[in-house]
Amino acid sequence: MKTAHEIRPGNVIMLNGSPWVVQKTETTRSGRNAAIVKMKLKNVLLDSTTESSFKGEDKMEDIILERLDCNYSYFADPMYVFMDSEYNQYDVESGNLGDASAYITDGMEDICQVTFYEGKAISVELPLTIVREVTYTEPAARGDTSGKVTKPATIAGGATLSVADFVKTGDMIEIDTRTGEFKKRA
Amino acid sequence: MSKRNFKFHMSIQTVNQHWDIFCAVVDNYGDIGVTWRLARQLAEEYQLDINLWVDDLNSFSHILPALTPDKRSQTFNRVTIHQWNVPLEINFVPGAVLIEAFGCELPEQVKSQLIAQQQNPGDTPPLWLNLEYLSAENWVEGCHGLPSMQASGIKKYFYFPGFTPRTGGLICEKSLLEQRTAWQSAPENKLALFTQLGLTGIDVQDKVFSVFSYEAEALAALCQLWQGADQKIHALIPKGRSLNSLTHLLPCSVAELAPGQQIVIGNLNLHILPMTDQPSFDRLLWSCDFNIVRGEDSFLRAQWAAKPFIWHIYPQEDDYHLVKLEAFINLYCDNLAPEIARCWTELNLAFNQDQQSAVTLHWQNLDSVNLPLLQHAQKWPIYALNDADLATRLVQFVKNS
Repeated sequence: MKTAHEIRPGNVIMLNGSPWVVQKTETTRSGRNAAIVKMKLKNVLLDSTTESSFKGEDKMEDIILERLDCNYSYFADPMYVFMDSEYNQYDVESGNLGDASAYITDGMEDICQVTFYEGKAISVELPLTIVREVTYTEPAARGDTSGKVTKPATIAGGATLSVADFVKTGDMIEIDTRTGEFKKRA
Repeated sequence: MSKRNFKFHMSIQTVNQHWDIFCAVVDNYGDIGVTWRLARQLAEEYQLDINLWVDDLNSFSHILPALTPDKRSQTFNRVTIHQWNVPLEINFVPGAVLIEAFGCELPEQVKSQLIAQQQNPGDTPPLWLNLEYLSAENWVEGCHGLPSMQASGIKKYFYFPGFTPRTGGLICEKSLLEQRTAWQSAPENKLALFTQLGLTGIDVQDKVFSVFSYEAEALAALCQLWQGADQKIHALIPKGRSLNSLTHLLPCSVAELAPGQQIVIGNLNLHILPMTDQPSFDRLLWSCDFNIVRGEDSFLRAQWAAKPFIWHIYPQEDDYHLVKLEAFINLYCDNLAPEIARCWTELNLAFNQDQQSAVTLHWQNLDSVNLPLLQHAQKWPIYALNDADLATRLVQFVKNS
């Protein structure tokens, strides 16, 4: 069992007797430090999607399905193609990647976990931390070095996120794939 | 809930149409303050049978003095108040709606009954809602009303209070604003209230501030400033957390202070407030020139008081409370002239960040914007309510679910 707070995009959870792929998670803070986790879920059996909210400490069954370490290979719309160490290829629907698709870039070397359900590749989980190049961000405005002042930045692949003011275009940065947040300069 | 289930759900309402609200008391007055107001309003304005389950009747009795803390069940204002013991000593009978206030964990007996109802084809569990904390942040709109699928298959819905039409609204009784206007139109009302509360020596032209904050060095700084004010200032403070920051001004320990006691330091008169019920607390806020409030319940009531205020927000890890504070500030200041907005914003930020010199500086700046700030405070409740209060929206949400 995992708490809702620990669930990541790419996990498969069992709710009401059905397996659901977690496509997106968004954690916010309610009163008194309590976390609220909003998830976009896809029913593996029915192919339908829904949004659901959970208390951060809600317990849920994280289904251990067959998983394989794979590398991203290429995109053949609407499929992302991943390849294992034995050069077997697996197609994953772009919709099943959820927010992870924002971090998929040609030539990326991150080891991803592809999850299978009844022989079909249904989701992809990225490493907890990935490193990406900042392709554009405004120059630091105030010379802040504390990391508390943030500004928007675009990374390789086109995703945008808030980064510390001292980050420059061309820097490599670490990103937490659970939250999509900037961690530090790599 | 499917349409088929909804029809069935409606049919069993004729048997058990009551609502159950569960509240775990966390900080004495906040959670229970909100749920008690909601329970009363649902009972009085919508004629709903409400069971309010509370795990700490001692704390509850501070805001409902007529309550007997060791009694297991009692009824006030058409609301049946049950003592929530672990394990539950009173038989829980599921009704039409079940509300867990602020994500409190429901008793095991209640959850087992819901699951049993769910598994019985001829039965339907109540509509299960998690009433969340109030926040002005944008994400609230995206989470309000969302189902929360439970492993058992029962759906629970997140109900978020809020300031916009796409949220669950704000608790405000139907006649409250009219009552407030009538009260504030006659200055003798406030003097009569102060007398009734045992507060003496307050003249109609004196400045009167209510203080219901958490511990704050910023409050100590304001009190120091008020001591040297050019007119008499009365700070009305109940025994509790605010006074923990003012021990250096007190002649005895906080525990030894008595309601009605007055401590005079220069032009500052500190009055120790007795605990009052919620209607009296509302009238107190209506009667003061400025209110320093905290948490959620008094924060909202200060807005309905239509007077300028400082919101001392519940502190969170990583200063996340400042994000919530700024979200509210952005809403509150949306239609405010920039110089007034800046003044009020800086005062609130300084107080919440315990910046002693800044808070006194910004307090002094208030003088120049006091009138437009007061006018804004008077207009704000209508803007914040967006045509429908929380109870109205909640009843509608239940009908539509």
